[in-house]
Amino acid sequence: MSGEASAAVATGSGDLGAPLYVAWQLTNECNLACLHCIEESGPGKAFRDELGPPETFRIVDQLAAQGVPYLSLSGGEPMVHPFFFELVERVCTAGIELKIETNGHFLEPSTCERLQSLGVKAVQVSLDGASRETYNRMRVRGDFDRAVGGIRALAAAGVPIEINYSPTRFNAHEIGAAVDLAHELGAYSFYTGRTMYTGNAVKTWRAIAPKEEQYSSFFEVLHAKSAEYRGRMRVYFHELGLLEELRYRLRHPAALLIVLPNGLVKLINALPFVCGDLRRESLEEVWARFQRAWHDPRVAQFVEDLAADPRKTAALHRWVYLQ
Amino acid sequence: MKLSKYTKFREEKFGGVLFETRSEKVFTLNPTAAALVSEIGTGADEQGIIERLKSRFDDHDGAIEREAIEFIAELKQKGLIED
Repeated sequence: MSGEASAAVATGSGDLGAPLYVAWQLTNECNLACLHCIEESGPGKAFRDELGPPETFRIVDQLAAQGVPYLSLSGGEPMVHPFFFELVERVCTAGIELKIETNGHFLEPSTCERLQSLGVKAVQVSLDGASRETYNRMRVRGDFDRAVGGIRALAAAGVPIEINYSPTRFNAHEIGAAVDLAHELGAYSFYTGRTMYTGNAVKTWRAIAPKEEQYSSFFEVLHAKSAEYRGRMRVYFHELGLLEELRYRLRHPAALLIVLPNGLVKLINALPFVCGDLRRESLEEVWARFQRAWHDPRVAQFVEDLAADPRKTAALHRWVYLQ
Repeated sequence: MKLSKYTKFREEKFGGVLFETRSEKVFTLNPTAAALVSEIGTGADEQGIIERLKSRFDDHDGAIEREAIEFIAELKQKGLIED
């Protein structure tokens, strides 16, 4: 009788009957225009062909029927989506654990109480700085105090909190203070890693890309903070570069589908490959395509081309359809 | 006994998977382990679960009972189930 801590092994062999985790980018619309946004989201940036209510709810019903245990809603900013709360209610009622990834600008006390009463598993708020100077510089149109106020409202309502932090040239030095702030605000998890050269970051890279010596100090602080908060708050960070991560994923694909606002399904966020369309195909069909797509030679080739030219990630939004 | 608040279980052809959604850790289970976790999901008590597993998997040498007790302890230690 045994349990083994690795879904990846099972997924790679195609053994799982359905994904374990679906990360759904609900809309590309956002109230902010962040310098580092990997999705090229922003005000007026909703896709023209985003899914409507019947298609969206049909997908949720399929996730529930296939026993998908875990879903995250992101964007863009998912809370600007016109039927956000209807969707949250549908997902939670179906018994799927739900995480919402937000910039925290719409977390009024009554909203947080509603999320708590619906049984949301966690709300992850992006807080890329420990001061309003760095945060507001990075999150154009954003307001540090409003985001912090939103996190405090989550804590008051009893909603589990996660914090996400993207490092840049001008906020990397605040990482220690940011971890401390996350704990003070009541977070149970803190996530960070290297900022990707894609989306809005392609245009702003010269201003935002951390230098390697900054990353060295950044991860050194994170190792120390991880030890300091052990047992009180999980401090997760991905020290590996993108290439190493993708090479690992080629061998061990995660049981994770990335769903775009228009229903297209990507293999993984850091690759341009689309392996299905939930507007036209069933979850079962898309899952089977996903399994096959990881073995498509174009995927491995793209990863190896990245070794020669890391800036190929600039093209992640020019989707490549795998048949 | 029951699954912990953030733990989800799904049966698979090879047995099953347990997914702890807060830590996002996944545990793959063989058929016997999956049967045990499936019983826990019904809210049954430990002794009742072990008795049902013994009759279902023909526990002629007592191995099923020993392994079930160890596995339940492991699941509790990992925070995947609770009393």
